[in-house]
Amino acid sequence: MIRHKSERIFNVINIIFMLLLCVVTLYPYLNQLAVSLNDGKDTIFGGITIYPREFSWVNYATVFSNSGFVTSIIVSVLRVLAGTVLGLLLITGAAYAIAKKDLPGRNFFVFFLIIPTFISGGLIPMYILYKNLHLMNHFLVYILPMAFVFYYMIIIRTYLQSLPPSLEESAVIDGANEMQILFRIMIPLSMPVMATVTLWLAVAHWNDWTSSLYFITKKDLFTLQYVMYKVVKEAELINEMMVSSAMTGNGGSAQQVSVTPESVKAATIIVATLPIVTLYPFLQKYFIKGVMIGAVKE
Amino acid sequence: MGLIHKVKRYKFLYVLLSGALIWTLVFCYVPMLGIVMSFQDFNIFKGFFGSDFVGFKHFVTIFTDPVFLKAIGNTLLYNSVILFLGFPLPIILALLFNELRGVFFKRAVQTISYLPYFLSWISVVALFYAFFEMDGPFNDLKVMIFGEQIERTNILMDPDNFLGILFWSHIWKNVGWSSVIFLAAIASIDSQLYEAAVMDGAGRWKQVLYITIPGIWPTAMIIFILSSGSLVSSNFEQVFGFQNLYTMEQTQVVNTVVYKLGVQQGNYSLATAFGLAQGVVSFLIVYVVNIITKKFSNIGIW
Repeated sequence: MIRHKSERIFNVINIIFMLLLCVVTLYPYLNQLAVSLNDGKDTIFGGITIYPREFSWVNYATVFSNSGFVTSIIVSVLRVLAGTVLGLLLITGAAYAIAKKDLPGRNFFVFFLIIPTFISGGLIPMYILYKNLHLMNHFLVYILPMAFVFYYMIIIRTYLQSLPPSLEESAVIDGANEMQILFRIMIPLSMPVMATVTLWLAVAHWNDWTSSLYFITKKDLFTLQYVMYKVVKEAELINEMMVSSAMTGNGGSAQQVSVTPESVKAATIIVATLPIVTLYPFLQKYFIKGVMIGAVKE
Repeated sequence: MGLIHKVKRYKFLYVLLSGALIWTLVFCYVPMLGIVMSFQDFNIFKGFFGSDFVGFKHFVTIFTDPVFLKAIGNTLLYNSVILFLGFPLPIILALLFNELRGVFFKRAVQTISYLPYFLSWISVVALFYAFFEMDGPFNDLKVMIFGEQIERTNILMDPDNFLGILFWSHIWKNVGWSSVIFLAAIASIDSQLYEAAVMDGAGRWKQVLYITIPGIWPTAMIIFILSSGSLVSSNFEQVFGFQNLYTMEQTQVVNTVVYKLGVQQGNYSLATAFGLAQGVVSFLIVYVVNIITKKFSNIGIW
């Protein structure tokens, strides 16, 4: 292929642009990682870039010595587990039924399920419903409202319908019933798309913080993301953390506390994002797969 | 096979489906009934049946009271900037990704660019706050370039910057991941078209202009129609996250007003009415945009 001079120039500019994109994307995160690992008092002098100047675990010791912080991690992990399992049950079950083209009433059920993607009552009717269901300040408010996602159901259904029908036909001839077909054939065969939906659900549950904002006032039900919101936006919680760290001596002996609001914030941000940041490079292919299947449907 | 026989044979499927049906009924259809509240002076002790009907009173308030009008104006301004200026960027990024030749480099940059998409909005807000702090990296950089005499400022505290912050944080979070769908569209273009173009002497630029861009155009139109409804509904997590004491008053949007009125102040009827007006307009916009694009390009979502 003939390479013109203008193409070479374009390639160089494109590569420089891509490097800039990487810097802009990563720098704010790496900076907070460095601040979280740097002595708080030293951070005040400024100039921390992407590596700690005076390495110290004290910021992490401070946040982890706060019982509310630890509780919020447990709440977040529990809701990710419970929410993902419940979501998978509802979504996969519905997808498998809808994928069956000769299921009596199928069109009506699809219609019934699709309507709410166009119209919704909005935040306040939902708020009153949860109040009446006694979901306020209850762990279930994290799980139930996110238990079914129409779009994910369509993705699984599309995948199931792309499997060769002969598989199912031969299973029927061998005397398998619907339950056996689902668990022995369909689910094992659709592992890639199941992985996609599992990950989406897990990430959505981990990242959700508005449920706590709207429906939770009890401290021991806060999720980690909501604690991060409180730490970043409200001075109250961060003061409490620093006082408790001073009392337990985690902040650096008797002289004074060596953590600052900035360093505690940084440690909180890193803890709250670390699972996603470390896992997503290995899992992104599943997310991309989901986009592809969704696009086929369109 | 008779219908009854079929229903019997598939009873396990109905059991599987019932979870989603009950969930949708309770968590989607029941709240729809709550829309009634927007035509009432809803009192939580009297309930839906005991509260007085007031007709369109709340809707009149929404479209006459300056606080609401300001929120509507902000919503339209913020979202039209994000929609119209933000829309082409992932397409351009996908085209640039497509021109990268080194496979490893390409994959590495793509992976990095996807990172912010997987973070929660509140994480993004937290990272922005840390980045633009008085002693944060942004001000450090400013001092490094302009010298010590330049004043350190926190741009997040100035309401004039709010639109810019919303726009760039949206781009920072989403541009990489939004390019995935366009990369998929590019990958599905028939490679024979490019071969034929090379035979005809088309350079890389001409190939992009006459093959790649027309090839991804239908995908772009569909994404545009789907996102046009967002013109009137802001991303609550983003706007609420970036608001602070200094900017809050001037940067209210419909969603934040609904939250403030309904959840914080218990003014359920007015908040529901505002949410309902927003939902109806949002649906109408998607409908009209769909008609327009169908007329001009034969591409539509229904």
